[in-house]
Amino acid sequence: MYDSFLVRKGSLRNFKEDGKVAGFCFGVRIANYRGVFLSLHNGYYVEVDGESYPVALQRFGVNGKPPRSFEELKNNAVYEHWDMQDEATLYIMKEGGLTPGVHRVGILESILCSYGRMPRDEEIVKNPPVPTPNVHGQGGGGSKTTDVSYFDLELQE
Amino acid sequence: MAIKRGVSLYSYQQEEWFGRWTWRDQLREVALNLDGADGIEIISEATIPQYPYPSEAFIDEFNTEMARWGLQATTLDAFPDPLQFRRDHVMNDAEMAERLKIDLRLAKKLGMKNIRVLGNTIDSVKLALPLAEELDITISQEIHFPSPIKRDPNSQRYNKIMDILEYIEKTGTKHYGFQPDFGVFRTAPSDVYLGYYFRMAGYEEYAEHVKAVMEAFKCMSYEDLVEWAKKTYPKVFNGGWADGELRPASAAPEELKLIAPYIYCVHGKFFHMMEMPDRPGEYEDLAVDSEGAIRVLKEIGYEGYIDSEYEGQRSQQDRGEAYLASEIEEVRRHQKMLKRLIEEA
Repeated sequence: MYDSFLVRKGSLRNFKEDGKVAGFCFGVRIANYRGVFLSLHNGYYVEVDGESYPVALQRFGVNGKPPRSFEELKNNAVYEHWDMQDEATLYIMKEGGLTPGVHRVGILESILCSYGRMPRDEEIVKNPPVPTPNVHGQGGGGSKTTDVSYFDLELQE
Repeated sequence: MAIKRGVSLYSYQQEEWFGRWTWRDQLREVALNLDGADGIEIISEATIPQYPYPSEAFIDEFNTEMARWGLQATTLDAFPDPLQFRRDHVMNDAEMAERLKIDLRLAKKLGMKNIRVLGNTIDSVKLALPLAEELDITISQEIHFPSPIKRDPNSQRYNKIMDILEYIEKTGTKHYGFQPDFGVFRTAPSDVYLGYYFRMAGYEEYAEHVKAVMEAFKCMSYEDLVEWAKKTYPKVFNGGWADGELRPASAAPEELKLIAPYIYCVHGKFFHMMEMPDRPGEYEDLAVDSEGAIRVLKEIGYEGYIDSEYEGQRSQQDRGEAYLASEIEEVRRHQKMLKRLIEEA
């Protein structure tokens, strides 16, 4: 759902930590007709110009709070909701950030929501699926989008 | 008394997602432009800001707007999300019941008479039933495609619907029942979904192919249809989601009679309203047997709501903004059809 609208055009920029460019970030929306508790969010498959950035390098900025890791969301955002109407910011840690110009960003959201218990639930608790382009084909995600969506974004000042 | 018409705000999900319409705009549309429809169903985690703990201001405003437009709150759609506590375990029945209780209390505050559940276990619903009775809110198991209604004597497959029916009849509870979704009475694959799958497979021109699949559905057995579709369009029907479009109806409208006394709300599911060739200004959805379902609902004396539930938007979002479906127009057409089918003898 909303495949070609999941990343906001004009939102790609570098960000600083302690005065140094620590990575880049962009605005994302949920690929669903409803919001979810943040503990269900398992991160993204992210690639930029062909290079992928694992969940360990991702931080999620939502509800006006400082960016948090997906591990933090899983453990401590059990009753905190990402509302369907709200844009969040996906931060990617990358020393020096991105170079000026246009970058090809691909994302696939992995939110583990479902309509009921599924055979793989116990396994997912033990070994959360790694968001990859085919994670949903393996039954690991409950998101309404199954393919990587690509966006050509110009780095903003 | 007759069948009443309402709208699930699920139908306007795209307007909501793009921020073009808020729930207030949606209530106004139902009140002013649907010729007598007055029911409102909401998705808990779509309409309620900061679910499950919205502000009192939201609750007040929702109730005020509903009263202002003379609308009736019909159903709150709730979700269990069994992986909410995945930091250490899968949600158990007691926790699923607790989540449902949160939704029951929210439903009460919003004036809802019914809660729609889908993946909740029967045991978890049983644990929440005492609160449902106290608040006088019914809990309705949605009967959603591909769920059957009647038990197939030749199949060992678990039938949740008949298990729930047995429980209701054994206990006599007045607060556990059903919410059938017209999507189980499918008469053809939806043209908008087929179009999506053909585009995903790389087709640029596919209108004739869509028509061919819809025609084949009508005149072939399921097994023959699958074989023909895979052979004719191997890139489209290759074991993925598209294959699901070939599946036959999972229930017949007559089966509604089995659960007649326990239907507390109905989803008028639809995908694409088209003008009827022989009746200009009147509309139908070729993928759903709304006519058969409403005929049976009238026969059994159903006097509750049919809430329009439009689901054609999702399959048209891949082509960009210019091609987005008009949820507003689709719902208007669907309501026109519902009114016609309810009022026709």
